[in-house]
Amino acid sequence: MDNNVVDQSKDITILELLDRVLNKGVILTGDIVISVADIDLVYLGVKLMLSSVETMEQLKTGKAIKEIKE
Amino acid sequence: MGIIIYAILSARGDLKNSDSMVSGLTGLSGGSLYPLSYNSATAIVSDINRSDLIANSSSAIAYAGIIETLAQQFTLLPMRFGSVMETTDAVLQMLERNYPEIEKNLLKVENRVEFGLKVFCDSEKLKAELIAKSEAIREPKTPQSPEPQISVFRDYVNKKLEAHKFEEMLLFHVDSVITGITRHLDQMNAVCKFRKMLSETLIIDAVLLLENKLKDPLIHQIQEFQIQYPGLNFVLTGPWPPYSFVEPTIK
Repeated sequence: MDNNVVDQSKDITILELLDRVLNKGVILTGDIVISVADIDLVYLGVKLMLSSVETMEQLKTGKAIKEIKE
Repeated sequence: MGIIIYAILSARGDLKNSDSMVSGLTGLSGGSLYPLSYNSATAIVSDINRSDLIANSSSAIAYAGIIETLAQQFTLLPMRFGSVMETTDAVLQMLERNYPEIEKNLLKVENRVEFGLKVFCDSEKLKAELIAKSEAIREPKTPQSPEPQISVFRDYVNKKLEAHKFEEMLLFHVDSVITGITRHLDQMNAVCKFRKMLSETLIIDAVLLLENKLKDPLIHQIQEFQIQYPGLNFVLTGPWPPYSFVEPTIK
């Protein structure tokens, strides 16, 4: 099989997996602490998922909040 | 210290030995997995230091991997990444509070798995095909009065009308593909959710929930779709735990 096709399939699978585990599944609310804050706010679409994970890290340190405000 | 929750599963009947089933499995940051139960609802959890829960893609993939391992043994409700509670008591209270909802959701996904189906197209090629098709069925032009004078305004309107017409044709085409897919998947008793026209190339993004045992017939069916629509590219992923078919919020 064409290596490029295999690589693309892997990429799609990883993006699909991240899309599910970060944006779907059961959410806890109420008195529960969700340690990764406001993931939905930084999710812009499957293609941007990997960069949104980086943004999540920045949100934890407050860097992204500063950028958003600017 | 906190308690990270990976999934909630039903520990009915022969699944009452969930304790032994998860023993030996490790969670994020190396903590052992263990079950916390209220009636037949069991949360699979591990202890974690908040500082160890790093929000990056490798942690998220590891988290999904744990859910995947559990899903091979149990019908479960996958939790979203980052589901952390303060104490085991808080987890037990959450299970008690949401017990009816949890049971309802578990019943909905029992012995079922999720698949992702994406349909891509070469937008320029598809555009050319659809335009050629529409011109082939168009009635021959009747003799017209002399060509009206070309103006910037008319040129703009014509272009807009053409673009609108193409969008309508594309949407009609996508709807007909979805109808074709749905007709076949209905026979498998699959639950389908479709989103369409997400980008120029991604024209259909669907999630399907169907019985575990129908994996091979589904793959065969997608291959058939690929033959039926040679201009489109069908990409099937899964089986996944039923992430897209659980009620998203519990309190």
